[in-house]
Amino acid sequence: MPIQYYIALSATLFCIGIVGVLTRRNAIVIFMCIELMLNAVNLLLVAFSKMQPVAAATNTAARNAANVGIDGQIFVFFIMVVAAAEVSVGLAIIVMMYRNTHSVDVNFLNRLKN
Amino acid sequence: MQLINALLQANTTAVATATGTAADYFPIGIQLLFAIGFVAVMIGGSHLLGPKRRTADKLENFTSGIESHGTARQPMAIKYFLVAILFVLFDVEVIFFYPYAVNFRDLGWQGFGEVLLFVSFFLIGFIYIIKKGALIWED
Amino acid sequence: MNAIILSVIIGVVMMFCSVFVPNKNSYRHIASIGLVLLLAGNIAEMHGFSLFHINTKGMLSYDNFGLFFNTIAIASTLIYVLLSGRDIQKIGTYVAEYFVLIFFVLCGIAILSSYNNLLMLFLGIEILSIPLYILTGSDKRNMMSNEAALKYLLMGSFSTGLMLMGIALIYGATGSFNIEVIHAASPQQGANGMSELSVSFLEIMGMLLLMVSIGFKVSAAPFHFWTPDVYDGAPAVITSFMATIVKVAGFIAFIKLFDARMLGTSVETNKLIGVDWKLLFAIIIICTLLVGNVTAVFQQSVKRMLAYSSIAQAGFMLFALFSMNDVAKEGILVYSVAYSLATIGIFAILVKMKDFTFEGYNGLGKTQPVLAFTNTIFLLSLAGIPLTAGFFAKFFMLESAIKTGTYLWLVIAAVVFAAISVYYYFRVIQAMYFKAGDAAVVEAPTMSFKIGLLLLAAIIIYFGIFPQALLSWFYF
Repeated sequence: MPIQYYIALSATLFCIGIVGVLTRRNAIVIFMCIELMLNAVNLLLVAFSKMQPVAAATNTAARNAANVGIDGQIFVFFIMVVAAAEVSVGLAIIVMMYRNTHSVDVNFLNRLKN
Repeated sequence: MQLINALLQANTTAVATATGTAADYFPIGIQLLFAIGFVAVMIGGSHLLGPKRRTADKLENFTSGIESHGTARQPMAIKYFLVAILFVLFDVEVIFFYPYAVNFRDLGWQGFGEVLLFVSFFLIGFIYIIKKGALIWED
Repeated sequence: MNAIILSVIIGVVMMFCSVFVPNKNSYRHIASIGLVLLLAGNIAEMHGFSLFHINTKGMLSYDNFGLFFNTIAIASTLIYVLLSGRDIQKIGTYVAEYFVLIFFVLCGIAILSSYNNLLMLFLGIEILSIPLYILTGSDKRNMMSNEAALKYLLMGSFSTGLMLMGIALIYGATGSFNIEVIHAASPQQGANGMSELSVSFLEIMGMLLLMVSIGFKVSAAPFHFWTPDVYDGAPAVITSFMATIVKVAGFIAFIKLFDARMLGTSVETNKLIGVDWKLLFAIIIICTLLVGNVTAVFQQSVKRMLAYSSIAQAGFMLFALFSMNDVAKEGILVYSVAYSLATIGIFAILVKMKDFTFEGYNGLGKTQPVLAFTNTIFLLSLAGIPLTAGFFAKFFMLESAIKTGTYLWLVIAAVVFAAISVYYYFRVIQAMYFKAGDAAVVEAPTMSFKIGLLLLAAIIIYFGIFPQALLSWFYF
């Protein structure tokens, strides 16, 4: 399958995520949209890492063909782990917020305007 | 330059055949269609053929024979949440064992040592949350 | 490598101190000792003595610039903990954890000052940001702190998403995460079965997304809108840390990323399509200076004014990216020292105040002469008045821009904005000395606190008279 399909799919997912972040009002939904953005990136990284002929050619031919572009897949692991850390901190903050205001609506966040 | 070009060409074709084309996904498509069709036929069939008797008892949610009361939207103890967060953290870290498992033999004792280091960092975090009392259930 | 590993080890040790050492007053002393150790470890590495030998496969690279910046960051943190340690203790009940998180942030900074691979850039930024989300929300019962934490978290993870997309696109275009490979690679026909044009388009998009996301982190306009709210809502001690050490670390990451990119001609000639990065940065600088300085004029609260002033100062630090020559690199080091020390001092005094508005400072010159005097010196340094370190910081930045020989209007605009900034810094000085009132402090400052402030002011004046003293360490 040509790479363009993957790029189009992940760009679409990414844009859905961005639009969600910018338009939704529920903190948890915003957080899910951010996760959607990260997963779009994961998809793109895996697709690129699987179709990576350039790196193989410019680096030495001695590089094992099976390992070409494996760094992209490792990057995906790091994104997943960091996203999990971010989610746990984020959910904790949202719960803290909920305990104080009994709402997860970001429209409530207006105490800090002038 | 010639050589590089030749290499480029060679590698492009090699990888292109390895990654495959849309035609290679044909069996997956068939399987997908079959799975969806099977589920649709089964649900549709039982819906059409099965007898329908709507009584109050039958429409009630089934909760292991215990009478259900209230809705699910009630505040829960914060402890569940704490455990859930800690679970997410420790669960996802396991992902780093996958690359190690794949290259287990090649990495040898050095790789084993590094994985032990990783696990020990894990354990330090675990000991910390135990010492902090995050997992104590009773107040 | 010393700084990265030692900061984590000391952080973990402090984590267990919170379990095994019951005395809350001792934590800040332990943290100070840890920071001294960390500083010693980093200076040892500058002299070629490395405790750990780990093959990072070129993911991290150590040069004088990064190591020297580490020294600046750790030393500023040490000064910060010594001055404001008591106030960190007062945020809440989990005292040791606040220090632990500060150590983890330092680990992120150490990675950012030495990364050579986009994976490390990503990890460094996240290790830096996640503890900061927690620190921002550390005042758990305070609604403002909660709100600031949630805003910071949402904006921060959003910008992380943009950064990751940028990294993925660059990876697709060049096939590598290594910065040198990325900048050297020219688009090749047939990469991934795409045309040359679309490959270079991917790469440019990637670099732009990276620029936007790091612009978020250093609060460059037009990506600054979270800054005032977060800096205002976070506990004042934490704001001090965020606005100084963390912000400057963002600039170091920025410079390392665009170092090779900005060296060549302004438009990338070897690419089919290119971005005029110099023009782009010039626009960002103008926006940042405009937003920061003009909005700061209208603020009623000193804390919020300082948040906007930190945006304005970021505009000046962006000059280092704009010109990217040797003067700029020396300049950003001088700037980071001058800006960090002065802002740490101002916040250390701000935390002691009962009322954060300008009126709250009325008559501080009479009630607390030492605080008012040192505060004046810190503010003068931020405004860039001669004989303070801030003057040479701004001077180096503008000189580097003049040396590039283009966009002279930018330098003139920067001077005009620096003049505007004098107005709102002097408002504080005016309130302290020329307005009647009895500025109330939360508690009488101790003798050691006053001596610390005086020493800090002395350091700022010393670097203002002999700026070469700092740079001679850099070249040692």
